[in-house]
Amino acid sequence: MILSSNTNTNEMNLTTYITDPAGLEQFYSAVIGAYETYGPVETFGKFEFRKITSLAGCNPDPPILSSMSVKALFFPRSAKVLRYRTTSSGTELSDTAEDPLAGKRVILGVRHCDARALEVLDRVYKWDYIDTDYLNRRANTVLISTRCDQAAAHCFCTSLDYDVEHLDALDVAIVRGTDGKIYLQARTEKGEQFLKQHPPGPADAAGTSAEQLRKQYVTFENSFRLKMNYKEINGQMQNKFESPAFEEASSTCISCNTCAFVCPTCHCFKISDERIRDEGVRYKSYDSCNNIYFTLMAGGHNPRPVKYRRWRQRAMHKFVYYKERFDLNLCVGCGKCTVSCPVNISIFEVANRVAASMQ
Amino acid sequence: MDYTNQIREIAARLLSENRIDVFIGYRKTGFDENHLPAFITHPNATGDLVFTEKSGFNLTNYLKFEHTRNKRVGLVVKGCDSRALNLMLTENQVKRDHIYIVGIACEGVVNEQGEKAQNCLECVMPDPVVHDEILGVPSGKRDYQANSDVKELWQKDLAERSRFFEEVFESCIRCNACRHSCPLCYCAKCCIDQETSTLYHGANTTSSAFHALMTWSLHLAGRCVDCRNCEKACPSHLPLHLLHKQNEQVIHEHFQGHLAGMVAQDRGAFYKYNLNDPDDFIL
Repeated sequence: MILSSNTNTNEMNLTTYITDPAGLEQFYSAVIGAYETYGPVETFGKFEFRKITSLAGCNPDPPILSSMSVKALFFPRSAKVLRYRTTSSGTELSDTAEDPLAGKRVILGVRHCDARALEVLDRVYKWDYIDTDYLNRRANTVLISTRCDQAAAHCFCTSLDYDVEHLDALDVAIVRGTDGKIYLQARTEKGEQFLKQHPPGPADAAGTSAEQLRKQYVTFENSFRLKMNYKEINGQMQNKFESPAFEEASSTCISCNTCAFVCPTCHCFKISDERIRDEGVRYKSYDSCNNIYFTLMAGGHNPRPVKYRRWRQRAMHKFVYYKERFDLNLCVGCGKCTVSCPVNISIFEVANRVAASMQ
Repeated sequence: MDYTNQIREIAARLLSENRIDVFIGYRKTGFDENHLPAFITHPNATGDLVFTEKSGFNLTNYLKFEHTRNKRVGLVVKGCDSRALNLMLTENQVKRDHIYIVGIACEGVVNEQGEKAQNCLECVMPDPVVHDEILGVPSGKRDYQANSDVKELWQKDLAERSRFFEEVFESCIRCNACRHSCPLCYCAKCCIDQETSTLYHGANTTSSAFHALMTWSLHLAGRCVDCRNCEKACPSHLPLHLLHKQNEQVIHEHFQGHLAGMVAQDRGAFYKYNLNDPDDFIL
């Protein structure tokens, strides 16, 4: 299966615009003025995606990865599903169609790993149940981001099988050239239309930018410390369900769920009610397979009662199960889980350890 | 502060003499400069162990998990960790003869930026209060000092403080990492996990975050030892110490300078009744 956005990249005529840092700032301001815009805002020493009305307080090119992924703007950490009221004649439902994230909007500063994760999620949301809320939010959103210049300590996105060079998960990719110029590339039809409406500078008709972009990419690729052959890992892990490495690797895990909450692709949720007397609101909120209650059944049986089995589910879902079903890896190599883990467990290390272990 | 070699020797000795089943210490991640907890079960594997000022995580947290509960455990504790351990012993969560405690006379650990952590700068007890053997030279109990962030917070007016905490609860994602990383949160079923509760109910709303964090901080009032495991675990980098330090300060002031876990079998401010307890703060 080939990615839908990849297929038409070459057929479409996608334009690259050239500008300078001042021009980029003007472009950002114009975008913020014209659309409902979200961007990375610094709170408590980390970056979080928030609605912004000016560039003040927002850094569209944050020095560190945002702690939470952009997933929260498509699959919010707590979404109202409906409001209910029980009366003597039955239960009344209301507000079932309310969606605060449904409007046309632009998100700035989405790192490519986050954007790529949305492509991965699209598969599951278009699968047996079509999640219209999610798909509406996707269709109404333009993703704009600067390409990373330097890999962080736990990044390994280039090790996974997607086209980092072309960044097709983004609508507009911004590249800082070594020549001091800024290149804005349309990567999708949506991005092309968007840049046409808000041209940040002259279009690169002669295609002179290609070499600059290539140079930037090579420098970026060389900055990765963590590298693995993902296809090999994937194949090896398939047969390692009973591997003792899961128990060893997860022994220090404190089951805190942080990894799943910050993960750009984790999509498990729970349903809970905020109820006062006869009225209540039903929420759909994040859940985690590392949580002991996650698989607890009403009768009291728990198929994953011990920690390593929950960890195994997490690792296997990331590297094996999702790939089998949707032909894409569920881990995008952003390293957010490792950065956030209070005991520094690295999914990269675990995957490699399990793959290398004896059955 | 580097006790790497001593800890390796102790762990190897304990394991080869079969006095413990598992030794809990720290190891290097292999990816960055941080240290992560390590479970060592064989004397030949003790070469992985390290201990420096980067060994921040409070290891007593592991004593509450099912896979260590019924084992003989050797572990490394710093001053604050040992206070947590003291409380766990008092509250009958750990059997003293099941654990072998390697105490470190701590000189303070560093945060991610490499600066000395704030709780270490304000530490009252750097020496282990309970131990089987001690590494380093004990420097003794220090004077209690009020937390500078709490002081700063109380200088703001009520509206500003409330705005600040609204921001905190807004940023909370209800992952409950704070609770899981706290050695003193050992309840088999935590009240904030009650899915049917109208207060906590699991949804990541600001109101549920408020109730969960306030309940959590009150359950730790007079028990928190300021190890800051919760803050290290928080993916939203929330200043959780503000909740605990305020409680600690109030209790220190009203309960004859009570500090959690300093003395063995001290049941804590909220567990004992004294006719002389002040009640002037009650309406």
